[in-house]
Amino acid sequence: MRASRIRSIVQDSSFPSFLMLVLLIIVNAILQPGFFSYQVFRINFMTFTPLILVSLAQATVILVGAVDLSLGAGISLVTVVMASLMGATTASIVLISVLGVGVAILLSLFNGFFVATIGPPPLIMTFATSTIWFGIALLIMPTPGGHIPESYYGLYGKSIGGFLPVPVVVLLLALLLCLLLGRLRAFRHLYAVGGHERAARASGIRVVRTKIFAYLVSGIFVAMAALCVVGNTGTGDARSGQGFTLNSVAAAIIGGIAFSGGKGNYLGAAIGGIILGLLINIIYFAQITSFYQEFMKGAIIIVALLFGAVPRLRREISKR
Amino acid sequence: MSVLEARHIRKSFVGVRALSDANFTLNGGEICGLVGANGSGKTTFARIVSGLLVPDSGELALHGKPVNLRSHLDAEASRMAMVHQNLSLVPEMTIWENVVLGREGTGALRFLDNRGAMAIAEKAMAAIKVSLPVTERVKNISPDEKQLVEIAKALAKDPHILILDEPTASLDFNQVEALFEAVRALKARGVAIVFISHRLWEVAKICDRLVAFRNGETVGELDFSVQPREEKLIVPLITGQEAKARVRKPHDEREREIIALAGKSPALEMQDVSLPGGRLSNVSFSLRKGEVLGLGGLQGQGQEEILMILAGFLRGYSGTVRRNGSPVPLRNTRQGIRNGIALIPGDRQKEGLFPDHSVLANLLYPKLSMHRGAFFLPMVRNRALAASAIEQVSLLPPDPRLIVAQLSGGNQQKVVVGKWLSLDPEVLLLNDPTKGVDVGTRENIYAIISALTARGTSVLLYASDTEELVNNCDRVLIVFEGRIVKEISGGEISEEKIVVSSLNVEHTS
Repeated sequence: MRASRIRSIVQDSSFPSFLMLVLLIIVNAILQPGFFSYQVFRINFMTFTPLILVSLAQATVILVGAVDLSLGAGISLVTVVMASLMGATTASIVLISVLGVGVAILLSLFNGFFVATIGPPPLIMTFATSTIWFGIALLIMPTPGGHIPESYYGLYGKSIGGFLPVPVVVLLLALLLCLLLGRLRAFRHLYAVGGHERAARASGIRVVRTKIFAYLVSGIFVAMAALCVVGNTGTGDARSGQGFTLNSVAAAIIGGIAFSGGKGNYLGAAIGGIILGLLINIIYFAQITSFYQEFMKGAIIIVALLFGAVPRLRREISKR
Repeated sequence: MSVLEARHIRKSFVGVRALSDANFTLNGGEICGLVGANGSGKTTFARIVSGLLVPDSGELALHGKPVNLRSHLDAEASRMAMVHQNLSLVPEMTIWENVVLGREGTGALRFLDNRGAMAIAEKAMAAIKVSLPVTERVKNISPDEKQLVEIAKALAKDPHILILDEPTASLDFNQVEALFEAVRALKARGVAIVFISHRLWEVAKICDRLVAFRNGETVGELDFSVQPREEKLIVPLITGQEAKARVRKPHDEREREIIALAGKSPALEMQDVSLPGGRLSNVSFSLRKGEVLGLGGLQGQGQEEILMILAGFLRGYSGTVRRNGSPVPLRNTRQGIRNGIALIPGDRQKEGLFPDHSVLANLLYPKLSMHRGAFFLPMVRNRALAASAIEQVSLLPPDPRLIVAQLSGGNQQKVVVGKWLSLDPEVLLLNDPTKGVDVGTRENIYAIISALTARGTSVLLYASDTEELVNNCDRVLIVFEGRIVKEISGGEISEEKIVVSSLNVEHTS
């Protein structure tokens, strides 16, 4: 029983990324002074949290067999909407935050509705919407700015009870959402549609509805990420979300989510997100010049992907 | 009383008429066969009845009441279940998740009831006497086990009407028996069953009645309570012609032919070939020029592994493979092809065809992959080659520009065979080539094969249908747990003998 438990952990799709994570934590701890101190932990999670959340968002749509390239532009759009409307009163902060969440979910649902009903390739569809979101964001705010009150972004750097940073609280909420999703019928159907759409249809699953559901869930995670980005930067910026799109795809794949859909889990995606966060940290603290930064990042991502591919390759060779 | 009545059902797909006048009655507690050639509309009809397709016109009545089966869910409400020919299983999911897929039970807060689902799956699997751990992922089980899970999935719905669309296509006779037992038990409980199969002996054995379709029309019925259970009564219903039993050449005549063709060494030899993990151990045999050698036995005993090694798919075997007396390396599929070995796969959808490409392209790919010489492809010559292949397999219609996906299943299978003919292979490996193929096409494929053997091509045939081995082979090797346990040759080959040796009981008792 115990041996089979261990085997099931080792065979989990997220296990290789977990090994990678341990390795990166060690490297990071060596390079970043005081890595295990509370302050560094808090500051690290201010940047890790949005990365993890977009990875979860991307993982959701990849699991259903699609992808979302507009997610970064969506975040940008939410930040400029919030920064251009938010006032200093508590009522305004709450209202505009809710509006930001609504916008993020709406953008994602727009993609989901088109992809599910009309059926363009999600890659092209969301690429198209990404440029539209970016265009709108530029229209609203050609240069970074706007007004985010200190009481909003200050909160993001605070800790609850002096030991629980707000970004970690946000992650705990996301964890709760993941656990809840795992027990829903619609979420099971999401795996079925991503794993084998025809079989899902033959089993009486409503495929269109399931795809829209995936984009809805993705939108919720994007909304959470956008709120964190606003908290972290304190401004609205039409380019603030740019890096998230492909980073989230890389994080999901590193975390063991199959790009073809239907395989992987949120744990892996979250680990993938942290791995990318650590990478950015490591490159910064290793004091690599900016030219090599991009180079190193790419190289390390490939190494991470190889990590994930080893067990699969081994299985395939033994099968052949 | 009839539980299902379909009258004048019509259905067309973009320009192609699948059903023009389908009539069908199913009575409570009976097993009714549905037979017909590939493309006669059986599956379309089954999909309409189970609510997956909406007919263009016609009437449907369930339990005497007219219904409009607009969606699958309506069909479920009327307790109808279908076992799909192209399986409806999600490979990455576990058996129990698949069994309840689309109908998951929920408990408090609408959360999934996983424990209940596992119990349902276990019960359904036990009903057809399958002992597989329900927590196993479907991608890790064999094709025949998948078929059984698919059946369990249908049974878990506790159906009043069960439609089985070629449920036995990937099962061996043992598993077929177990399935028949389960089907009879369901019948005893009052379930009405539609049984679709190309294996006529199965239909004759288990059905109470049968209905035949031809070109989308109901053309006849047989009632086994008044008519004898004979296959030769069924064949004319399907083909529209009298059954003409193919005359098998007498074994001594074949033997003389093979001896006349023989060169210095056998066309193909396997010597002490083993695979790790006991999948094959010390397999040795030789295949003479022009001979048809059968691989028999229960499903998954290593027959496919033998074919895969010869085709160059499986590396890591030990032992020697010789062609015409000299050892050949088989590390990849190119080496197999270069050594004159061609594999005709069983799963044509997955391994045999490029469904979205034209017949011409499909026929030429093996040739192109081996193309050497000039930079440009000799397309004029290639077209002529394709035309001759089309003629040899008698493809209908004989148009190289057609897209393969638009052909009927039988014609697709002809393309799978035809694509290798341009390379003129000396050894042809057949992996269950007539799985899900109707009688007419099956005869056609075997006619091609016997024409090839007469010219000196050697054939290694694995078939899950024992009758096929009997009708085509000069010798049959019985494989059991990765070993060859018996060789049956010439006039000794009979269904009974193959079945008995497959169980390998002589050795243990």
